Amino acid sequence: MLSRRTILQTSLAGSMVAGLAGLAAFANFYPKPDRDEELTGWRRIAWPFPRDAFPAGRAWKRDDTEVYIRPKLGFCGNCDTGVVEDSEVDRVTDIDLLDEQFVPLREGKRIQLTDLTGRARLYRIKKGGRERVAQGIAVAYKCDLVVAIVVGPVADDAILKNAHRFLETNTVQVWINALLEGR
Amino acid sequence: MKRHAWLSVGLSFLAMGAVAQQQKVGDPPEASNMKLMGWSDLQARSAYQPTIHRQGERWIAYVGHHGGTDDIPTPVNPMTGQAEPNGTSIVDVTDPTAPKYLRHIPGAPGKYEDGGAQMVRVCDGSALPKGDKSAVYMLRSFGGQAHEIWNVADPSKPVLVTRLDGLRDTHKSWWECDTGIAFLVGGAPEWRTKRMTQIYDLSDPARPVKIRDFGLPGQEPGATGAVPTDLHGPISTGPQGNRVYFGYGTNKGGFVQIVDREKLLKGAPEPTADNLRAPELGRLVMSAWNGAHTTFPMLQMPIAEFANDKEGKTRDIVMIVDEAILNECNEPRQMVWFADVSIENRPMMISSWTVPEASGNFCQRGGRFGAHSSNESMAPVFYKKMAFISWFNAGVRALDLRDPYHPKEVGYFIPAITDKTDKRCVKVDGKDRCKIAIQTNNVETDERGYVYIVDRANTGMHILELGGDARQVAGLK
Repeated sequence: MLSRRTILQTSLAGSMVAGLAGLAAFANFYPKPDRDEELTGWRRIAWPFPRDAFPAGRAWKRDDTEVYIRPKLGFCGNCDTGVVEDSEVDRVTDIDLLDEQFVPLREGKRIQLTDLTGRARLYRIKKGGRERVAQGIAVAYKCDLVVAIVVGPVADDAILKNAHRFLETNTVQVWINALLEGR
Repeated sequence: MKRHAWLSVGLSFLAMGAVAQQQKVGDPPEASNMKLMGWSDLQARSAYQPTIHRQGERWIAYVGHHGGTDDIPTPVNPMTGQAEPNGTSIVDVTDPTAPKYLRHIPGAPGKYEDGGAQMVRVCDGSALPKGDKSAVYMLRSFGGQAHEIWNVADPSKPVLVTRLDGLRDTHKSWWECDTGIAFLVGGAPEWRTKRMTQIYDLSDPARPVKIRDFGLPGQEPGATGAVPTDLHGPISTGPQGNRVYFGYGTNKGGFVQIVDREKLLKGAPEPTADNLRAPELGRLVMSAWNGAHTTFPMLQMPIAEFANDKEGKTRDIVMIVDEAILNECNEPRQMVWFADVSIENRPMMISSWTVPEASGNFCQRGGRFGAHSSNESMAPVFYKKMAFISWFNAGVRALDLRDPYHPKEVGYFIPAITDKTDKRCVKVDGKDRCKIAIQTNNVETDERGYVYIVDRANTGMHILELGGDARQVAGLK
């Protein structure tokens, strides 16, 4: 029969292993902020959407604003023109994952993120029981798309621009480029 | 030798094995129970839909083309000496061992899917209710922007009859020759999808009559919220079968929509959500990883295993073919699925089939590996017995589907590449890494039992004949 001391030591060791494993998982899920994240205040959060036809993307949060971004390889409707129509922004961005009943607020406009161009459009959505505004972004690289959503007080132009600037940082772009260039 | 040295040698042999599977100019085709009868280079144009049509005592192949490539946007037609945007090749295949190229009708300028004239269907004027009895009509897409009808009674001298313009992303249409009803795939202005259906009465091809626009609720003009996935193409069983099977989502988020044809044609045409919903009988939703490129119905199939069952001896089967999109297996496998749709509001997937990847190291060969489309001829020679599936770098695969619950392969043919076969690239460390491989894109059969396969990578059209066990499956002597 095991002594009380052995049982105690074993329990302690087990708890420590479980704790370390939990910490490791947590660290993996929310990796240590990199330089851009430290400077900009954006913090990585878990990808909030269920698994679908495309690999999961990455998500960040800063104050009341969140951004979600991922490449959709081989999904461009027109490899030569890229994304030039609002209807394509409606179709290809993940805005429907936030709210299937999204409502476009106005015509979209051209957008450029680093060297990728496309269109961005504002939508009214319901998230967590309250009405919010989100911007759907779709830019093209040949026959591949990169889609992003900015959700939060994006009617404030400064907040929207801040989110766009973050999407252009190395934190996001190195990862995106690795996926676009690595296929 | 140290362990890691042995490991290196072993890995080198493995790598050599993979390289050895890559095709080289001069290598013979790879085949089982399928034999090459003849070949046309199709002027080295990237090919999509072939349609084989009997015209009197002649057999004519009409082959739709994608737009040109970055390297050769407008190939030269050696018959005219002119650079012509890819369009439609017309080839006399009466003697399958000596196909004779008759004519190239230029298509829309533009590269890859943005130009050319991918789709083609053919109906005799004598079959159409109001057609010119002496005419033979070819319906084709024109780039993404239009559908055209040509009179090809003299296939060497086609004459344009009609053009339906102002569209976008036109694609895989269906035309009932006995009624003239056409299900034209494209994007109508104001619709929220780039591909839906415009239904026309083309019983008199010179005077098209629009019946209605059709799509999924949410795709119609003025709708809000999520936009359902694009249509790829429909197949109708005509007034006799009274069903249209629509395939949505080419390579992802796919589903099959089963529609009552009569309700579709006679229902209220205004594109409201209720009117669009009205003719639908059922839907089979697939995994988000797979799409429905071709939805080929085989109704009332007798199933030998169920022969002694009191009910359900015959089943309505739909063969669903996904389309592989990305090179070198950079996506979930796209393959063939069989659905039992006998109970239309409860359709059920019953089986699937794929080429075993390891049988040819196909993920390493270059280009796409996976299914693309099937033959669509319902001629008795193969219908409900065999299907032929184009599988890009794995060529064409012949399936015995007399028991659709357990489909099995009975033959295949992977054509040899030529010096015209185009490269296919993937990015490795930011740089293009290109390989040359056959890219069998589409397949069709004729009533004589010949199989026609065409290549997306500019290798032309191969005419094949079945051999061995495969002939017995089809009941060919």
